[in-house]
Amino acid sequence: MPTEHSYAQLLETNHLIRHASDSSLWLCRSRTAQESKLFPVPAYMILSYLECFYRYPDLIRRIDAAMPAEEIADRARETTTSLQQASLGWCLNNFFLLGRQLLIDMGMLRATDAVDDIVDVMDFWKRFQLSYHRADGHMTNGEMGNRAQIRSERTLQVFDADAIGMKPGDRLHTALGQFNATISQYAFLASCECRLQIHHDGPYKTADGELLIRSYQALAEGDFPWLDGVASGIEYPNLVVPMFLEDTHVYLLDDWGSFETQPALDADKVVRVGLYSSDYLSGGFIPVAMGSAAELADKLEELRDQFQEATTKLWRVFAGFSREQMLDSGALVYFAAVRDLAKIAGIYDQDEWWSIDQRTQRFKGLMNDEYGRDSLTELIALLTLPSQQDNDYVMGRHSDGAQHMESRIPYSVLADDDFTATIGAPRERWSSLTPKSGTWTTTQGRLTLEQLNAAARGAKLPLEDPALRYLDDVWIKWHADDPRADELYRAVQQGSSLEGAGAGLRQADLTARRAP
Amino acid sequence: MPSAERFAGLQDKYAVEAATPTVRGFHAAIRGRVAERFAVSGLTWEEFVFNPEFELSTEDLAAVEAEMLGEGYRFDHSAQVSVTEQPDKYKAGAAKNGDEAEADHPDQLDGPLVVGHGDNVFATDGDIEGVAREISTLERVMEMLTEGVPKDTIAIIDDCGGTMTAPIIADFKGILCLAGTVRTHLAILSREYGIPCLMATELEGLREGDAVRIETTKKPRDITPEAMAAAATASGEQRATVWRLS
Repeated sequence: MPTEHSYAQLLETNHLIRHASDSSLWLCRSRTAQESKLFPVPAYMILSYLECFYRYPDLIRRIDAAMPAEEIADRARETTTSLQQASLGWCLNNFFLLGRQLLIDMGMLRATDAVDDIVDVMDFWKRFQLSYHRADGHMTNGEMGNRAQIRSERTLQVFDADAIGMKPGDRLHTALGQFNATISQYAFLASCECRLQIHHDGPYKTADGELLIRSYQALAEGDFPWLDGVASGIEYPNLVVPMFLEDTHVYLLDDWGSFETQPALDADKVVRVGLYSSDYLSGGFIPVAMGSAAELADKLEELRDQFQEATTKLWRVFAGFSREQMLDSGALVYFAAVRDLAKIAGIYDQDEWWSIDQRTQRFKGLMNDEYGRDSLTELIALLTLPSQQDNDYVMGRHSDGAQHMESRIPYSVLADDDFTATIGAPRERWSSLTPKSGTWTTTQGRLTLEQLNAAARGAKLPLEDPALRYLDDVWIKWHADDPRADELYRAVQQGSSLEGAGAGLRQADLTARRAP
Repeated sequence: MPSAERFAGLQDKYAVEAATPTVRGFHAAIRGRVAERFAVSGLTWEEFVFNPEFELSTEDLAAVEAEMLGEGYRFDHSAQVSVTEQPDKYKAGAAKNGDEAEADHPDQLDGPLVVGHGDNVFATDGDIEGVAREISTLERVMEMLTEGVPKDTIAIIDDCGGTMTAPIIADFKGILCLAGTVRTHLAILSREYGIPCLMATELEGLREGDAVRIETTKKPRDITPEAMAAAATASGEQRATVWRLS
């Protein structure tokens, strides 16, 4: 009996696979190279892809049942969580598809296997992405020409109105530079050499140039087991830094959340800045030490010292890890990149996200450094695996070659019974890491896992009220005088210099308020 | 031409061989084991593929690597921990920077001697000078973490990642990275810290403790899409120079 999916459904799934495949090739060939003498990075990446293939379908279905993808994205868009374009927009779909591709190449899977799993993961990804990008109407940054305009006017107005001016050489300017450097270093280390804790969105047009919003995630004691104790002095789960640039154009902000500017970004061109804390329980963005330039500089210097101390402690911890612990930690950082889906849905289970399935554990015996490096290179850059080859007339996007990174599902599954629906239930899991024992640092204080899930289930943004959820910026254009518009804006303006201003302001009004 | 190898019981019309020896060897060996097991199972593929009774085990997959090692093959390594824990599995390390023959490192210099070139991450107002110190092991990082980074250190690093030197990077005067690009993690961090840095640096005739000057006033490597499309690697004129001073 053929699959019950419709032809239209499979056409869409295959479109999403090809979209992922093409955009990934551009990213992987042009954007970066990853290596480390501390961590066996490519090996843990390959291991994580396999784990994502085996585990995501079950997790995604249970999360979707607790809270639909598009509603989770509403929360993620209006706050700052680990669910960013890089983690959801690229990792969720591609890690799953790359694991599948490896298994096809090993002859352990056919392209007709796990059809329901593929359809469900890609459909979940699509719904999340469309909702997360609701403001700009795209699915990914790449689709928008490498730009991420995900924020609503009301949030951007608050950032714009409250940002504090600075000049090169003044104390705030110096403190910002040192803070950004130190926290970036910490973030690379805490994520085992990947950039998933540093993200950007924008650019947004401002009166003095462009706004680039940088966010740092998963900073405090929380999900990463290795941060217990190490990060006990860090009080913010995530930090958001709106940076207002002059004479600098952000011409590219890719699906990994990294950016490039023309001319090259010079710290002297950052003329105003803000600092906020936020998570999926915060209801929005909470200003941090933004009463004055001196107060903000004090806070940035304090944070710099905290992150430097945590970096030193953490490096000593990792330097003592065995190779298997490094493999597990790196693979789990990648696999758990999307863990905040479960958190927002209120069904987060630490053990579930920080242990590795028996089916993936089998492959550890292959994961020497050379196989890691070469399989990763062939899989995501060279496209030289046999399973990636297409017919001789094909000219692939971004390569002109007869290859594709990720295989589509043959439509034959609509006509015959040569297919399987699912990889099946999760198996026994374990890891070589010391299990987490501490609490989770949130904007609502330090919580146990039980308290964390209860808080998530009870949390609600004003936007999540059914009466307001669908009142987007297109509606605002025609209804700025509607009381519901004021309600949406005032909710975001709490604690801001715009408090109570409502929906009627334009950008020029904010500029006039700033004028001396 | 592709072999008549079968993938999950099917013939691949467009198959080629994988490009690298480990992927070629490992994947072919796994495909062979799956094919054998599928043949003896007497099941359809759909009955076979996720059946725990027939799936490859940890031991089956470990044997794939063991066979390659048994044939005398040794792997390249990247992470220090890999070769520390299993030295027999990996090739011996390459010669380090300070191992040049005496002819490549004259004791007396008539003036600044060009010893290398690299891609500048960002431009500074003046070139920088300092003392070359190789930092390529965790033990060296630990030593500098404990005793402090010596003044004016120009760190010579053979790893473009951003984690190995994490606790000490802020104290470097400059960085000469022998790998990576101006987009890789170490380059990102050097830009954030404001530490002058060359990436993909090629050095010859430089030793631990030599005084060096780096042309950090050089225009940064152009990484706009247009420039990258025009030239995958920077031409000589675009590369910044490294001089040995003593």
